[in-house]
Amino acid sequence: MSDVAIFTEGLSKSFGAQAAVSQLNLRIQPGAVYGFLGRNGAGKTTTMRMLLGLVRPTKGSVRVLGLDPAREPELLRILERVAFVSQRKQLYGWATPAELVRMNKAYFPRWSDDAAARLAQRLEIPMNMAFKKLSIGNQTKVALLLALAQEAEVLILDEPTAGLDPVMVDEILRTFIEDHVSQGRTIFLSSHHLSEVEQICDWVGILDEGRLLLESRLEEIRQEFRLVIASGEGLPVAQSADVVSATTDGRFRSYVVARDAERFAAELRGQGAAILEISPLGLRELFLHLSRKEDPCTPGNAGAKAAPVSSFS
Amino acid sequence: MYAWKCWRESRARFIFLLIMFGASALLFTLMHGLTEQDGWWHFDRTEYTRDPATMVHLVSGMVLSVLSFSGFLSAVFLGATASGSEIEPGTIEYLWTRPRTRTSLTWTHWGICVAEMVLVAVVPTYLAAAILGTLTRNWNLPVLFVAPWIMVIFGLPLLGLTTLMTALKRSASGGLIYTSAVVGVYLIVRQIITVPTHLNLPTLFAGPLVWLVTNNQPLAVAFPWGSLARAVFLAAALPLAAQYLLKRAEV
Repeated sequence: MSDVAIFTEGLSKSFGAQAAVSQLNLRIQPGAVYGFLGRNGAGKTTTMRMLLGLVRPTKGSVRVLGLDPAREPELLRILERVAFVSQRKQLYGWATPAELVRMNKAYFPRWSDDAAARLAQRLEIPMNMAFKKLSIGNQTKVALLLALAQEAEVLILDEPTAGLDPVMVDEILRTFIEDHVSQGRTIFLSSHHLSEVEQICDWVGILDEGRLLLESRLEEIRQEFRLVIASGEGLPVAQSADVVSATTDGRFRSYVVARDAERFAAELRGQGAAILEISPLGLRELFLHLSRKEDPCTPGNAGAKAAPVSSFS
Repeated sequence: MYAWKCWRESRARFIFLLIMFGASALLFTLMHGLTEQDGWWHFDRTEYTRDPATMVHLVSGMVLSVLSFSGFLSAVFLGATASGSEIEPGTIEYLWTRPRTRTSLTWTHWGICVAEMVLVAVVPTYLAAAILGTLTRNWNLPVLFVAPWIMVIFGLPLLGLTTLMTALKRSASGGLIYTSAVVGVYLIVRQIITVPTHLNLPTLFAGPLVWLVTNNQPLAVAFPWGSLARAVFLAAALPLAAQYLLKRAEV
């Protein structure tokens, strides 16, 4: 197994003048469960496609399990060891899930019939109905079954639970944890459901307009990150490298601080500001603050500095 | 497994073509023996034994006039299921994340289509030949024996063209429409050039088919080798172009 499951350096992709991904640096260790977050169009899907050779990078390098997807022989080895669920989850409409399973297993040497049968039962998939006749939720479940039964070393999942009801979402998340996380497999998933990400991920990266705004351990966000709300005249846009985001709402300015929030608040008080609140942040609040467009104080990989990638374990 | 998927997706078209050309071949072979007597249709075999050589010539010509379309129709309808057609509906993300090269996918599909084209050409023609030979007791049927292979040779460049157009347009319907448009424009331009000027241009790659249909005495007339060479070149070049296009495609 490679030292790094997913590695990108200076990864960029442009479609004409539009930069979809810009200077993206990721270093995801084997066994990590990494939530890749961002608004629609942030560049998450493009990044995932670059990892799988579906899109070629404009600049930068990519390695998956130490292999380069730009080289065809290496890409084939990646695809043997990586399972992918795409955002569209589009499979052959004429095929039944049972036929799709038979078709899929021929591609993968580590395919598990037991896992496929178990998942079909657990997710309540009608295995003999044509894919096109299944509900969106059942189509999603089939796509997940095909990916999970591969017994892949790395799972790349683009909004894997979209279209599923809460019971099934819970079932899927438990499957991830029981069958994959517990076996040390790497999961790289994008989702708009932040509660799910909080439930299973140990790392998060927040992408906006193709740039990684923040990358941190989820535990570190819970313990260290604070929201500081201050009021006063002439408050600084960005005070220090520990400030991940600063937004203005009338006379108030909200700062997301990665560490030493009390020290930062003291500095603001020293400048005549009144500190109204210092509170811990959930992932949802952090995401909302980072994704707001006003007064972006930390463009680029600011979060990577706040939580250096070398601190991965 | 991809071969099975190609078969599964194209089998309805294949069976339709096989039944359509098989029924046509049967009809044109047996219709000369159908006679009406006292308001009832019955089959009179003596029509075939009275002048077997003329009957073979007549029936062969009629069967060929219908089956000559098999190469074109098989190529276009079967070729439109090539992997490029999966880009627009989105199944390509599934297909291209299986550990198989895009080149192997392109040529596996091509191979399945060629096999189906051969069957669509061979089965109806040889069925007609078998019935005609039995009825006339004349097995001197060179036109019918050679015909399916010439239809396949004619169909191969069109299969390549459809594969290429499907990759360019990224959909089955786009591939069908653009292949038909390219063929239509080519025929119109050719007519515009040749009719007013009375030019006798050689065909691009349809020479062997024209030779087969117009002569009906293939061994007596020189075979258009130049046209055959162009057909072979296009049959290889067009799928290679599609392969290159798909290998570089981003989705």
